[in-house]
Amino acid sequence: MAPKTGIPPKTGPLEDRVSAPASQFDFERLAAIYNQARVDYIVPMPMNAKRMAEYVRSYDIDLEASVVSLNAHGQETGVGMLGLRHDEDGLKRGWITRLGVIPERRGHKVGQFLMDALLTQARDRGCALIQLEVIVGNAPAYQLFRKLGFEDTRELLVIRRPPGAPEPNAEFDAAIVQTLAEDEVIACLRARGPGASWVEETRSLVNAGNLRGLSLTLPSGEQGWVVFQRTAFQLTHFVLSPGVSLDVSAALLYRIHQEFPMQDTKVENIPLTDSLWAVYQRMGYLEAFRRTEMVLRW
Amino acid sequence: MALIVIIEDNPDNARLAARLLRAADHKVIVAEDGELGLTTVFETHPDLVLIDMGLPDIDGQTVSALMRQQDDLKRTPLIAFTAWPEDTAHSMAKAYGCDGVITKPINTRTFAEQVGAFLQPVE
Repeated sequence: MAPKTGIPPKTGPLEDRVSAPASQFDFERLAAIYNQARVDYIVPMPMNAKRMAEYVRSYDIDLEASVVSLNAHGQETGVGMLGLRHDEDGLKRGWITRLGVIPERRGHKVGQFLMDALLTQARDRGCALIQLEVIVGNAPAYQLFRKLGFEDTRELLVIRRPPGAPEPNAEFDAAIVQTLAEDEVIACLRARGPGASWVEETRSLVNAGNLRGLSLTLPSGEQGWVVFQRTAFQLTHFVLSPGVSLDVSAALLYRIHQEFPMQDTKVENIPLTDSLWAVYQRMGYLEAFRRTEMVLRW
Repeated sequence: MALIVIIEDNPDNARLAARLLRAADHKVIVAEDGELGLTTVFETHPDLVLIDMGLPDIDGQTVSALMRQQDDLKRTPLIAFTAWPEDTAHSMAKAYGCDGVITKPINTRTFAEQVGAFLQPVE
């Protein structure tokens, strides 16, 4: 399917490869291209148009800077998206995501072509740093990113907890819990330190909306807070107060799952070395898969 | 003959699985996403559900959990249909109340038999 507008696509390094801005495709088409490209992926995460639109909004994807590649027949061969953010210190960062090449159209260096196009877009927009994540085990993509100069920063876990109330805990039950008001939720997020992955940055959470927060005081007097997103079917985007004991973190998770025992939970991008992983495991979370976070600095 | 619901967004996979199961004399309904899958399962109370873990709206784990929260669907055989690495597939499937896992790509010679093994015998 050709782009919905008549804007001519840019010519690529080979005559039979061109790229068009993703903004020329509607969300339904973008989701379809992405789903085709990821059909044989290690962990396929297909999207419908609604989810694609939410993804673009939540993660500041610039569709003008994102690309769809096409072959000489005008067929889409792959897609790659670029998120753009300005930090408070003026640093402009890019995030490459949703990259994929349709299986039957692979083998013509389309992946590299898409990456070159995205990096050019990022450079033209003044990015000093580009980050991305690749699922552990996706060797071809990882090798491509290394070849382009990306370096590993850390390993991240995507974890799940099926619905169910936690095992009773008298100390946690005795904690005093208060629901945070909207302005308090925002204040908590502002108090976070740096280091969240792109999808868990405060900007992502605020964009996603439906945020809730709890503050908790244990009988010992220790205090902490948690912010999370509650959607119709899932709890997600957990942020636990930094610098508190693992017991406080466990108590916060306990109280969330006690309040929402019927909801499934997905938490993305917990650093493998984060001591909170042990707390999540204690609360019944399981590892779904791992990502390697990588960065390229100019 | 059993009524089997396949919740699978990939049309090629869904068609192949449905064809193999129909050839084994089962009645098959295909639902292409999680929401439609849940509606179909709630309305038809099938003998078995085959569910892809990666769906475009509500993912397979969440759909499995929602199914298992319904009293009348707690015992319906629920099979995860996934290309995930085997260890992950089995631990996730078990945690989310699935009775087993069939990994993709499917073996066309044994698929119907694999599914049939999860069907409860008629009393």
